[in-house]
Amino acid sequence: MTPPALELHVWGPAFGLDSIDPECLAAIAYFRSMIPSGDWTLIASNDASVNPNHVLPALLHQSTWTFGYSNIVDYVRQHVDHDTGDDLIPLQAADSLAYASYLTTRGQGLLAVSLYASPSAWAEITRPAYSSLLPFPLTWTVPPALRSTAVEKAEQLGMGYLAAEVDTDGSPSPGLAETTSTGFLRLRQRLGPAATMHPEQTAAIRFQQLAQDFYSTLDQFRGDKKYFLRDEGPPTSVDFLAYAYLSLMRVETPHPILKTALEKHFDRLSEFIGVMDLDKEREDLPWQQPPPRGALGLLGNFSDGVVESIPGVGESWKRWRRGGVKDIDGNDTKDFTHAIVTAGGAVISLAALGATALFRSLPPIGASIHRFEPPKVEETGLRQFGEIGAMLDGLPVWQ
Amino acid sequence: MPSEETRDRTRPGPRPSGPSGWFAIPAPLARLFKKFPLLTYPPNELPARSPDIRDVATLYVFISDSDALKGLPSYNPSCLKWQTFLKFARVEFRILPSNNHASPSGALPFLLPPSQPNDVKSQTPIPSNKLERYALAHGASKIPDVPNPRLEAYESLLDHRIRNAWLYSLYISPANSALLSQLYIAPVSRSAHVRTAILYQLRRAAEAEIVRSTRRPAIDPAVLYSEASEAFRALETVLGSGPWFFDSSEPGLFDASIFAYTHLVLDERLAWEDRRLADILKECPGLIEHRDRILHDCWE
Repeated sequence: MTPPALELHVWGPAFGLDSIDPECLAAIAYFRSMIPSGDWTLIASNDASVNPNHVLPALLHQSTWTFGYSNIVDYVRQHVDHDTGDDLIPLQAADSLAYASYLTTRGQGLLAVSLYASPSAWAEITRPAYSSLLPFPLTWTVPPALRSTAVEKAEQLGMGYLAAEVDTDGSPSPGLAETTSTGFLRLRQRLGPAATMHPEQTAAIRFQQLAQDFYSTLDQFRGDKKYFLRDEGPPTSVDFLAYAYLSLMRVETPHPILKTALEKHFDRLSEFIGVMDLDKEREDLPWQQPPPRGALGLLGNFSDGVVESIPGVGESWKRWRRGGVKDIDGNDTKDFTHAIVTAGGAVISLAALGATALFRSLPPIGASIHRFEPPKVEETGLRQFGEIGAMLDGLPVWQ
Repeated sequence: MPSEETRDRTRPGPRPSGPSGWFAIPAPLARLFKKFPLLTYPPNELPARSPDIRDVATLYVFISDSDALKGLPSYNPSCLKWQTFLKFARVEFRILPSNNHASPSGALPFLLPPSQPNDVKSQTPIPSNKLERYALAHGASKIPDVPNPRLEAYESLLDHRIRNAWLYSLYISPANSALLSQLYIAPVSRSAHVRTAILYQLRRAAEAEIVRSTRRPAIDPAVLYSEASEAFRALETVLGSGPWFFDSSEPGLFDASIFAYTHLVLDERLAWEDRRLADILKECPGLIEHRDRILHDCWE
């Protein structure tokens, strides 16, 4: 039996959905609907480094890697002999491109806020989900890296401040009465509503507005049609993408702003998810076990992640390992200045580490210094008369 | 007895260390940083040399001194977008060259409204995200504010696919580095070392922007250009045969945003060496006509 030709590598299932990542989820839905299940396999590799571009979803077909949802859809359309139903008129094709771009940019930003940047959602559902997908030491490096890219996305929406850790050290302990410098009792600060709210709650108003804008843009575009582009015919690639984003937005988070806004005000979009859910055949997905990574590969990935998270060096390392700018023929170009800056960064980090070690070895600054010396043996009896006294001291008559 | 003594000697002194000795911030540093900010100053007033009475609004953009006098288009897309939009709205304004450090929000453009003495409100600069409201309130011609649900979707094409290709083309493409240094680096400093540092910073910033937008760790110009080409073709399709986008009777903000890129890509006055973006645009005659129309209406 020849193995199926198409291998789809994705992030694994979470939150009751087939994948934790919207583009992977869209790719799975697209394949499930378009390609007979004997012709492809689905591998939850959970490892972006399986393909040279470090992006999931990735498709392996006849030893060619394709990555990213839209590229995969294009590739399947060109190379695989199946009816993909994407016979669109030019205006529909333009709309499809524009809405796919809107979904992947704005939708990703909203998901980044709701699942990654929000501290409670990250601690309670997203991080545990990644922990169940990843093998042991990688749970330390991969999820924080994913979160930091998501926080950057949230920043573009002006919501990055959500992710900042709340500093609780500064709050005075309740038992002690504080006095001001002039000796009066300091009144405790009144806790207004703003001070007692979770960061998610203070951000809720703005976030809700963003969510409603997003939903209403999609809702007005779809109107009363069955799918986004048309009433008749099979769903198109943008439908699967919308389905994936909307499904992940419906995940129950500790502060379910996205979910509530969707279900309360946009019935038509909720119905659309239902339609797509009905559409997908009930047959099982062709899951296949990912090839075992092996201890060496695991260790390599882990140390990669560790180096990437060192301040000063990590960025350059990441760029060197998998990023950088390719020239027009697709070759990597490594510039010389960059190497210098990298080396400089490494030296500075080492110096900082050394300084910290030095600082640690010093006694705490500001604390009073205690010196411990061996207590002097008290000299009694004949010993106080020096050597001769010591000699006489041994005589039993003085005992 | 002696064992007691040695134990005393080796026992470490009482250390007020936290739960994790190595990664905790040292207590004196933590105490020091807890004190900040000591004092937040009110915003500075305008410098004394700035005129008390400005009877006409001033838009600060990236532009050369001589072009600013003639009121020519800025060479920065986001500045040009607002410059064009203010012209659409027929707001009376002049432009002055400036840079990011001068802007209260850290980014150009910003606008200083015409001011009266002793009126603090008129001295507040207007950042670019509030310029639309300002233009609608102060412009002579009312721009029809027709919300179109498709507008946001097409804006994302512009803000990501086309912007990425623009960033690559101007900032990273080695062939265009002469143009980049003429526009953004030469005006800043005459020192070769400073120029090298600024070039490096600009390139890294552009790279980071592209990586953040594409979600791909590597930057592949062939992919960026083909994505931009798809986006331009989609825009060409949606423009159709009408004069302005989305069947509007008057040009709006979206037309200004498109023009900001198409004009600069096609501008003969900019010494593009790597002309791939212009070649892509040449396949979209509708967009070229659209650009010529705006250039004619606003600058000729």
